[in-house]
Amino acid sequence: NHKAPPSGCLNHLQCKNLHEYLKELSPTILDKLYNHPATCLAVYRELPPLAKNYVMRMLFLDQPLPQAALALWVKKDSQKDHDECVSVLSGLRLCHTQQLQGGLQGNILNPIFKDNLRIALLGGGRAWADQGDSLGPDRHARDVESLDKYALERWEVILHFMVGSPSAAVSQDLSQLLIQAGLMRAEVGDAPCITSAGFQFLLLDTASQLWYFTLQYLNTAQTRGMDLVEILSFLFQLSFSTLGRDYSVEGMSESLLTFLQHLREFGLVFQRKRKSRRYYPTRLAITLSAGTTANSSSATGVVPGTGDSGFIVVETNYRLYAYTSILLVIALVALFSECLYRFPNVVVAQVTRESVQQAIANGITAQQILHFLRTRAHPVMLKQNPVLPPTITDQIRLWELERDRLQFTEGVLYNQFLSQADFEVLRDRAQGMGCLVWQNVTHRVMVVSPQGHSEVKRFWKRQKSHT
Amino acid sequence: MYQTRTDKTTDETDTFPSFDADDDISRVQANREPQFTLSKCLDAVMVMGNSHLVMTRNNKLAIIASHCQESHFLYPFKLWKSGDGHGDDNPSTSGDGKYELLSVANDIMAEEIKILMSRTEVKGNQTDTLLAGSLAKALCCILFIKMLTGQEIKSRILVIKAADDCALQYMNFMNVIFAAQKQSILIDACVLDSDSGLLQQACDITGGLYLMIPQKIALAQYLLWVFLPDSDQRSQLVLPPPVHVDYRAACFCHRNLIEIGYVCSVCLSIFCNFSPICTTCETAFKIPLPQMVKAKKKKLKPST
Repeated sequence: NHKAPPSGCLNHLQCKNLHEYLKELSPTILDKLYNHPATCLAVYRELPPLAKNYVMRMLFLDQPLPQAALALWVKKDSQKDHDECVSVLSGLRLCHTQQLQGGLQGNILNPIFKDNLRIALLGGGRAWADQGDSLGPDRHARDVESLDKYALERWEVILHFMVGSPSAAVSQDLSQLLIQAGLMRAEVGDAPCITSAGFQFLLLDTASQLWYFTLQYLNTAQTRGMDLVEILSFLFQLSFSTLGRDYSVEGMSESLLTFLQHLREFGLVFQRKRKSRRYYPTRLAITLSAGTTANSSSATGVVPGTGDSGFIVVETNYRLYAYTSILLVIALVALFSECLYRFPNVVVAQVTRESVQQAIANGITAQQILHFLRTRAHPVMLKQNPVLPPTITDQIRLWELERDRLQFTEGVLYNQFLSQADFEVLRDRAQGMGCLVWQNVTHRVMVVSPQGHSEVKRFWKRQKSHT
Repeated sequence: MYQTRTDKTTDETDTFPSFDADDDISRVQANREPQFTLSKCLDAVMVMGNSHLVMTRNNKLAIIASHCQESHFLYPFKLWKSGDGHGDDNPSTSGDGKYELLSVANDIMAEEIKILMSRTEVKGNQTDTLLAGSLAKALCCILFIKMLTGQEIKSRILVIKAADDCALQYMNFMNVIFAAQKQSILIDACVLDSDSGLLQQACDITGGLYLMIPQKIALAQYLLWVFLPDSDQRSQLVLPPPVHVDYRAACFCHRNLIEIGYVCSVCLSIFCNFSPICTTCETAFKIPLPQMVKAKKKKLKPST
């Protein structure tokens, strides 16, 4: 009683990190990006530690350094790390090679990057943004707690909308973005509904969700007529701002102001009114760059709806206790488990074979389920090592593997050959073209891939007309 | 000529460095390199501090100036009490391209050093600084941060020293070093003028780096190249090799460095001359004297 999976392969959510994203941009855009100290700082922070030291050492050098000298910086057994660093730095166009006098190859930091990182470190240059002092103190100033509350509210509305809660309503722009990101699917005339990628998205932690979302937004920036460099620089600038401080919108271009409104809807900034002259970055904006690191095993920032701590307890008898009353969270837990009881402060659920395989049929992987459980684990669970009982983790993975026993490939069946010779001729032809999927010589049956089917058919018709 | 010496200690902890800078720069200025002034040294320290803060989000920094009369925290001052240091009453704006966090930090540092210098009275030719005291303050600071965050953080202390060693502080110094070793806190030393035996011992015992800078004008570059990497990266990078350390102890009575001396069997205190009663633990020693000679009353040497 397993439902057949939908045709086509299920896309697993790919979360790129900052460096992967930047490497895809063209060199001219990269150079323009590096023209802002905030971007240089953000890129610097994402480098591997050894590379950071390299950058610091070369930051105050004006002459290129011979490559041989660079190689001497590391000990003999760390040569591999050295090579990795150099490749990372050149991949991001941070480090260029230059011909030295005497013909040797030298390394030098990208001058734009170097200048702007120096500015970020030492001062000079233009101010990043008007700090809002010119506006005087804010009569309606917000403190950090209210900013946090606001940010979480806004972000949860988006998540609620994805799950399909009727109370959640988002702007046209935002639902369009969700559809373009592949997280939701809209039939003509119907309200958008969630896709398998959307399910996977919901199980991620907030920082990764934010970052994935932002990347999708940046991809659509060109089509909106926004300048990618401008909004990316502004985003990095936001991530380095101080929580609790207000900043002025002075000097921001039209497209930046539109971007600010979108950020307001995502919960990344707070503005009292649309026309307010000042805005407050929220904790979500500041943890944005933290979400780009691949390992988010430690829960940084705030878990939505529950304050700072986890709330799920998993027992070795497959029982799950979620100490929460937030509807969204309960909906997420119900994605892969069977809810048994609901109390005002706790939901009791059971992780069963059917529930897990149902989730996997929807495109969620065992890895994502386990990641979800780990990042929302109750402090009591965090004390034991490993956090989740091995029986549960192994069993969930095994249930996932059960579905991999059978692999479905589309194809076209050729059978009822009149003679062995006919079969072999066609079979060899299909094999030569590389589209033979399967054959059974004794029964004279073969399966050809759909792409190769038209070719094979044509060949067969020609054969038949010859003989 | 302004002769006061100030040591600056910086704690680094996860990495949280504290700089202890010893500002005997004025004396150095008179002697060898006229371009190297106290302000240049402070600039180098600020660059180092900024670079450290920029490395990762969680890095913290503290700077202590060690003076002949006191040790004074240059940074941070009261920020810890208010949390991350945001939302304080008078946030200064950088007005330029510097990262906001750094400009706030640098302004505080400049303010505090001004306060420190203005309230110091120059009394004659004082050449000692309260280095041991500053180190102790740095250790307390690290412990405080550990308690505040509740996590294990990697910390180290960088001492920038221009003054000479002070024999009077030997005891306190050794105690501080052993405390740091117990807490797995590295002590690095960047020495500007003359070699310091005490700091060499400190670096050797705790596992830190010791460097005597040949060209003081390049202080910032030395700091960034040698002392910025944390312990993980130090195992990968090629850094100055450890020096030969002078492990002679100082006697408890005169604070002279001695090679052969008398050791109390109870408390292990070291004396250069014999005395029948140990001044530290007041144990009386029964000395077997030859029968014929009447025991001369040995005068107890007054301990310093």
